[in-house]
Amino acid sequence: MIGDFKLIIIDENLCKGCHLCLFMCYKNVYAISPEVNKKGVQLPFVKFEERCTKCGTCEVACPDQAITVDLPENWWMNEDVNFNPLFTRHGK
Amino acid sequence: MSEKNRFLPYLREDRLPHIFCPGCGNGAIINAFLAAMEKAEMDFDNIAMVSGIGCSSRIPGYLKCDSLHTTHGRALSFATGLKTANKDLDVVVFTGDGDAASIGGNHLIHAARRNINLTVICINNNIYGMTGGQISPTSPKGSFGTTAPYGNLDSPFKLAELVAAAGASYSARWTTVQIENLVLSIKAGLKNKGFSFIEVATQCPTYFGRKNKLKTATAMAAVMKANTVFKSAADRMSARELEGKIVVGEFANIQKDEFTENLERISVEKSGKKTLINSAYSTEL
Repeated sequence: MIGDFKLIIIDENLCKGCHLCLFMCYKNVYAISPEVNKKGVQLPFVKFEERCTKCGTCEVACPDQAITVDLPENWWMNEDVNFNPLFTRHGK
Repeated sequence: MSEKNRFLPYLREDRLPHIFCPGCGNGAIINAFLAAMEKAEMDFDNIAMVSGIGCSSRIPGYLKCDSLHTTHGRALSFATGLKTANKDLDVVVFTGDGDAASIGGNHLIHAARRNINLTVICINNNIYGMTGGQISPTSPKGSFGTTAPYGNLDSPFKLAELVAAAGASYSARWTTVQIENLVLSIKAGLKNKGFSFIEVATQCPTYFGRKNKLKTATAMAAVMKANTVFKSAADRMSARELEGKIVVGEFANIQKDEFTENLERISVEKSGKKTLINSAYSTEL
């Protein structure tokens, strides 16, 4: 369901299907799967991976710690940097 | 980069998935706190968490640090005692709106008046979620609940303004939708020497949402985002325009004398080396 890439990983055991990631994502990367898993949850999945800017908002906003984004190591540790440095550096 | 979520090492993984309803904001606030703690470069082993009773007060049970689950409304009293006994601890209090505003209202304003070095994260979901949807002191006027079938007639408490007026050195209000600002605010609160109060307006789709025709978490988050007004804009708006809006921003950020430092100073002044605080345990410490 998730696909071959590993940019964004969604843990199927932790997700409860609140779909807040769809609301919080600024670039509309996610979509809702039509199938229901064994818990009765319609899992979100990554439909438009090329839109992702690795801002990491969905990772923080996910209430169930189910989303992992492949961020560069500890960019959030930098002083007074709240945005992804890659976002501004490449002008993407 | 590992394939593991970066917040999972701080959580008791055998207890997951946690008990909170789908769409509850408490999980996002755990993430925001942990991100803020990483940003502030604090020692996770030196943090002691205190909580009262309520949905939000279950948060310290999921975190791998020392925690104290206390009686209803008395989380700030226990935290004051803990901080006074050992002032090197970083005490963080997770409390709900019923816990902080209703039964523990006096503890809240007096902790703010003393300006003791605590970080209080008040999770305001506008309703008593754990006991079945009763109206809380912060429910907006006109909202429905189990105990208000014709709508709430009373005006709500404005907690962040109340604590700022009571004399806290840091007071802010954010929502779970503005998660980046919330992270920076919790970081500022952790670094601030003095009483730091961060009120977080969250969504409660199970009780508040179901009674107020906002059944999904997304609907609640969208309404919250639409009703948010920044403080600088709210200063220029009339009271009539501000009805039903959530004013976000920092309400106090000042420097004041701190309670435990005053106590330390006076005990050294009066008793010298034999301090009032830890004289009985000085050999053990």
